[in-house]
Amino acid sequence: MQVTETLNQGLKRGFTVVVPAGELEGKRTARLTELGRSMRLPGFRPGKVPLTVVKQRYGTAVTGEVLEQAVNDATRDLLNERGLRQATQPKVELVKGAEPDANSDLEFTLELELLPEISQPDLSQLSLTRLKAEPDQDTVNKALADIAKRQRSFETIEEARGVAAGEVITVDFVGKVDGVAFEGGTANDVNVEIGGEGFIPGFAEQLEGLAPGESRTINVTFPADYQAAELAGKDATFDVTAKALKRPVEPAIDDDLAKKIGFEGLEQVREALSQQVRQEYEQLTRMRIKRDLLDQLSTRTEFEAPESMLDAEFNSIWQRVEQDLKNGSLDEDDKNKDEETLRADYRRIAERRVKLGLLLAEIGRGNGIVVTPEEMNRAVRAEASRYPGQEQMVVEFFMKNPQAAESLRGPIFENKVVDYVLELAKVDDRTVTPEELAEVPPANV
Amino acid sequence: MTNVLAIRRKAERISREAMFDIVRAPVITEKATALSEKNQVVFRVAIEASKPEIKAAVEGLFGVKVLGVNTLVQKGKAKRFRGRPGQRSDVKKAFVQLAEGDSIDLSARLG
Repeated sequence: MQVTETLNQGLKRGFTVVVPAGELEGKRTARLTELGRSMRLPGFRPGKVPLTVVKQRYGTAVTGEVLEQAVNDATRDLLNERGLRQATQPKVELVKGAEPDANSDLEFTLELELLPEISQPDLSQLSLTRLKAEPDQDTVNKALADIAKRQRSFETIEEARGVAAGEVITVDFVGKVDGVAFEGGTANDVNVEIGGEGFIPGFAEQLEGLAPGESRTINVTFPADYQAAELAGKDATFDVTAKALKRPVEPAIDDDLAKKIGFEGLEQVREALSQQVRQEYEQLTRMRIKRDLLDQLSTRTEFEAPESMLDAEFNSIWQRVEQDLKNGSLDEDDKNKDEETLRADYRRIAERRVKLGLLLAEIGRGNGIVVTPEEMNRAVRAEASRYPGQEQMVVEFFMKNPQAAESLRGPIFENKVVDYVLELAKVDDRTVTPEELAEVPPANV
Repeated sequence: MTNVLAIRRKAERISREAMFDIVRAPVITEKATALSEKNQVVFRVAIEASKPEIKAAVEGLFGVKVLGVNTLVQKGKAKRFRGRPGQRSDVKKAFVQLAEGDSIDLSARLG
């Protein structure tokens, strides 16, 4: 194998490799003999097919196979010998010897980009702030009140008077458009909350003051975006007969309410609620510190990102942006920018992502962080449980598609590396209010 | 009495189409491949083809010099097809001895 370096510029390398014909021929014969040993062909005893016949039949295919293997082997050897780590699949171009029956040297050019030399940043120099928030009483109380509101019951008011705002009236009604009753416009015993939502605008309001036993005809206009298209925007009349007056009663927040929704007592409900809120906060905390960490790391990436990786990342982002552009669903921030600026912006984002990805991978590699099979299994099961009834299929899918499994592995690996870095970095804890925790810090690209 | 000379003369005049009718296919088996050491080639030929015709056909189609032709007729077996007695066709094979230095590439297509 003869190797000549033709390009050495930044991260790009180019080589011309020549593999002598003799070497190829040897490989080809070996492969053909191997094939012949297990071959069954009519007219020949198994494994007794002469080499000439095998060559006649499979020569072309084997030559292609051998060529491909020779190229792959040569590439791998070359990289190993020189201690190079490639960023992307090398671009191979055959110069000579590509014809299947050519008995000449194989010559091909190789173009590839290397992974940049990444120095491990001093992780202990990172100083991060872990924002924490405790669920306070107010939040829990608010959640409790919400529950109570959902559990309210109705109490009939006996006195004969008109319905007032906040109360509920039970009515029968017949709805007509142009004097004809329309489908779905007639109902009996419907509870209408005065001042509540859920009906055609103006419907509930016009019922105010109606007393049980009374009837009233009201006029409403369906909104233009009403879900039934044939009614949208039309004027309609409703003949309404009131039957009963009711008052919503919210249950007191006590042990009885707790039992009604399946808890033992009020304390347990509070406990469960604050637990839930705490979990939400913890997730936020993690998100914030991870973001912080990545921001800091990205300022410490002094290496150059391989252009091909950058292009690939940028193209995948840009595709999405173009889609958004077509649908007119761009972010507010991006709307006023022209394409040039947008491109530059997303180019920067792509660069940051590629660099961070490389850096995290490098930290993980340098410190022996791997994703264990158990963790993979857990992730697959978690993914599967999102498709109830098809768990088996999902698990099989991941087993058969290593690429799909790889997409699960990525985030796990990233999280493990982040955990590792967090352990080494200086982390200050700071308690903040939930609102501060939830606010999204400005993008620091 | 058969007039051998008359048969030979007739064989020398066969058309190219007739040659293709005579030489049907090469026989590719262990034995046939082994015979290539002696510069012999085996063909399946038309059952009614004579040795001079086969010689003329092989020489005409492959552009080689044929020294001799041996033939055999492999009788078709009596077989039952869907329960009815049937007869497989007979097959004539020709072992063709080529002149030294001549060869036939069986994988090549005929023009």
